[in-house]
Amino acid sequence: MIIQRSDEVPDITLLKRFPVPRNFGVSAGSRIGKGRTWPAPGGAARIRRFDVYRYDPDSDGNPRIDTFHVDLDDCGPMVLDALIWIKNRIDPSLTFRRSCREGVCGSCAMNIDGTNWLACTRFISDLATPATIYPLANMSIIKDLVADLTHLFAQHRLVEPWLRSRTSAPERERLQSPDERHRLDGLYECIMCFCCTSGCPSHWWNGDRFLGPAVLLQANRWLTDSRDEATGERLDDLEDPFRLYRCHTILNCTRTCPKGLNPGKAIADIKKMLIERRG
Amino acid sequence: MTRTQMRSALGKAVGLGSARDGVENWLLERVSAVALIPLTLWFTVSTVMHAGDDYATVMAWLRRPVTTTLMALLLMALFHHTALGLQVIIEDYVHSRMKVLLLVGMRLGCLAMAVTGLVATLKIAFGA
Ligand code: SF4
Ligand code: SF4
Ligand code: FES
Repeated sequence: MIIQRSDEVPDITLLKRFPVPRNFGVSAGSRIGKGRTWPAPGGAARIRRFDVYRYDPDSDGNPRIDTFHVDLDDCGPMVLDALIWIKNRIDPSLTFRRSCREGVCGSCAMNIDGTNWLACTRFISDLATPATIYPLANMSIIKDLVADLTHLFAQHRLVEPWLRSRTSAPERERLQSPDERHRLDGLYECIMCFCCTSGCPSHWWNGDRFLGPAVLLQANRWLTDSRDEATGERLDDLEDPFRLYRCHTILNCTRTCPKGLNPGKAIADIKKMLIERRG
Repeated sequence: MTRTQMRSALGKAVGLGSARDGVENWLLERVSAVALIPLTLWFTVSTVMHAGDDYATVMAWLRRPVTTTLMALLLMALFHHTALGLQVIIEDYVHSRMKVLLLVGMRLGCLAMAVTGLVATLKIAFGA
């Protein structure tokens, strides 16, 4: 089955997680320990347990998993609501990014029950018991659920994600036919949350050079834009065994995109463009 | 602080720049994969059909020009595809200096196997 959108579930799931021992291949300094268990709020009728990854850069300690109990009757329906509830009611030092709380800013991407998603668009009722909340995988962690995205944004900057045109600027807008505009559908909606790149095995092994699905989808967005005149240079810069061709169409990216986009297909389209240009 | 640590994030991401290469390997890997579908099918079916035959019959079959041609094509497609596939695996997972050694060794190994197979095929076809 070819996955087209993130809301498609695979027909067969062999294993929930790759069968390696916990903490396998992890340096001693980042082994995850058991943290504090915070008591459940008194008098609450509906309680849900959350196991949350904590890391404090100011202490020398290893990361740890804290257990919180959230009173569902006092809290909104989303995972982000639960995190905010914990921050307000239990532990003000819990650190995470959020801004829009409606799935348009891409700040609150994290690993929820083993899958990367936006905390603000995931229902608490869909979670496992206990729910596990980790930061995005394969990133350096700044604090708790906040990942260091510096390298990813540098990779984004690398593909020059803006209109490059040699035609002198027109008096009014640069025009585009409705058809040309529609070709950007499925590309322009990306919110750069990096759920996909964080879930991409190729980016785990070769993230220093492989651009990863989020950035390649953006690259394709500008290759597809009818107003852009730098298609050739863009393709030159992408044609590289590591930058582009490390993608092996594993499609973790497409399965995890919380906006239902298909970065795997966007990458395949770049590869097709390179073939087309060649002959 | 070393120079690498002082480099900007963009500088690190750019690295040595784009190799402007890769489309050829990508295409050849797919073309050889498609070619291998009929070739392996033919080879498997023929081998099974000749399973009970004696030495002379199998030799006579191998000497037929069609068989020789298909065998040569199979060997070339197979080992080229193998080399490209192994190259991807090595580039994915090996990050030490062993990478270059492994790549060269793997290439030479695949070439040696392909040439050995071709020599054998031709020797049977034209030999005594
Ligand atoms: S399809 Fe490509 S980019 Fe997406 S997860 Fe797989 S290797 Fe990564
Ligand atoms: S493609 Fe989807 S998962 Fe990837 S950065 Fe964009 S919105 Fe996030
Ligand atoms: S807070 Fe903006 S996407 Fe979740």
